[in-house]
Amino acid sequence: MKNKFLIFTVFLFVLGFSGTAFAQTEDELVEICGMIAKDATYLKDFKIRLDAGDPPPLQRFSVILKKDIKYRFSVCNSKDFEGKVILELFDNNRLVATTYIIATGKDYPYIDFLCTKTGAYHLTFKFKDGKAGLAVGLLSLVETI
Amino acid sequence: MTRRFIFLIVVTIAFSSCNSCRNSRQKLSDDFDIPDSLKTDKPVTVSAEAIGEMMENIASPVETAAVIKGLKVPFNKELIANTKYSENLNTSFAKALGLGIYGCDLGYLNMYGKTSLVIDYITTVKSLADGIQVGQFFDFSTLKRLATNNENIDSLVLISQQSMSRIDHYLRQNKRSNLSVVIVAGVWIEGIYISSLVTEETKHKRMIETIGEQKEIIDPLLFSLNVYKKDPNIAKLIKEFESIKVLYNDVKITYEVGETVPVEVNGELTFKQNASQTVDISDETLKKIIAKVKEIRNSILQG
Repeated sequence: MKNKFLIFTVFLFVLGFSGTAFAQTEDELVEICGMIAKDATYLKDFKIRLDAGDPPPLQRFSVILKKDIKYRFSVCNSKDFEGKVILELFDNNRLVATTYIIATGKDYPYIDFLCTKTGAYHLTFKFKDGKAGLAVGLLSLVETI
Repeated sequence: MTRRFIFLIVVTIAFSSCNSCRNSRQKLSDDFDIPDSLKTDKPVTVSAEAIGEMMENIASPVETAAVIKGLKVPFNKELIANTKYSENLNTSFAKALGLGIYGCDLGYLNMYGKTSLVIDYITTVKSLADGIQVGQFFDFSTLKRLATNNENIDSLVLISQQSMSRIDHYLRQNKRSNLSVVIVAGVWIEGIYISSLVTEETKHKRMIETIGEQKEIIDPLLFSLNVYKKDPNIAKLIKEFESIKVLYNDVKITYEVGETVPVEVNGELTFKQNASQTVDISDETLKKIIAKVKEIRNSILQG
């Protein structure tokens, strides 16, 4: 009887703390994303939280990118959700960079963008197959050209 | 009895812990929890569309400094604002504008690794941030330690940038986007001021282009400021910035569209943009813009 009580107690503790011990916060994701971006200099982070949907819901941001700068866009997903984030960069509705290449089905944890035109660009984030997700996108500076 | 008591405590702890699991599965669009003590008393009402349209990085001190440093222009302390002027900044508006200016200067110092000067600037930035109740997002103690011990410069840049970014996030989420926009305006005016002085000194083609390219940036900046034009301080700032914008009518920027090419090397994917941009700015217009920028930036620091 004593053993059963002890096992039940341990079970409840494990059950109780499992949620808090491993749930990732956005700030933790920013840290991880920073590591993915390697030695690029942090400029801005984008926190992405989207519900499931069809078509996949989007989160949009506008950014100014400058000529002759090599930027790095890195992404990382929360392991608490199924969704895998896709980042797309648009210049006047023209897709100029993405972390997911449809033709190969390949995902990239980071991509570089060599900018030759100063101006406003649009960043969109969505989760593959419209799944719910939590992710962070990071904009960093690699070098000036 | 003791067993029952222990059992009760265990169940309580287990379920209170599990409450956080439930919270993490709440509707994803829920906002972050913000302590009541930090909330402002007079929020400015702005539509979600307007906030959504705001640029995320209109002005970045790191990019400005990186371009200057990339041209091998040596560090010059005279380019940045003396911290004594922060004493002139007494209202929330003036402090927010100053936070942007000194935040930009901090970015310049960090990029050049001038840790001996950094402490003075982080102290000023922290004080201005405290003045608009966002000092808690500025990681002063870590920055001070890094600067004092001349430790990792990359961490200094990262934490400074993240601190400014957290302030921006917090202000936007707490219906204080007006101050966020004013900070951005401060960063922008200081960035173009530093670039102007470097342009005057070096006459470098890339720096002249940098001044000319601001034609593309001043519009979204004015758009963001105009959302809050009912605020008399912001209205005054808009008028001043519009006097710069008028001068940009004589700057011509032309583009040639080109296909962006993805190149994968060792698993690393780079998109090379092939668009080209030409900035046409006369010496006279350049001088006028630089003079106006200096006038506005210096008047801001007078309070």
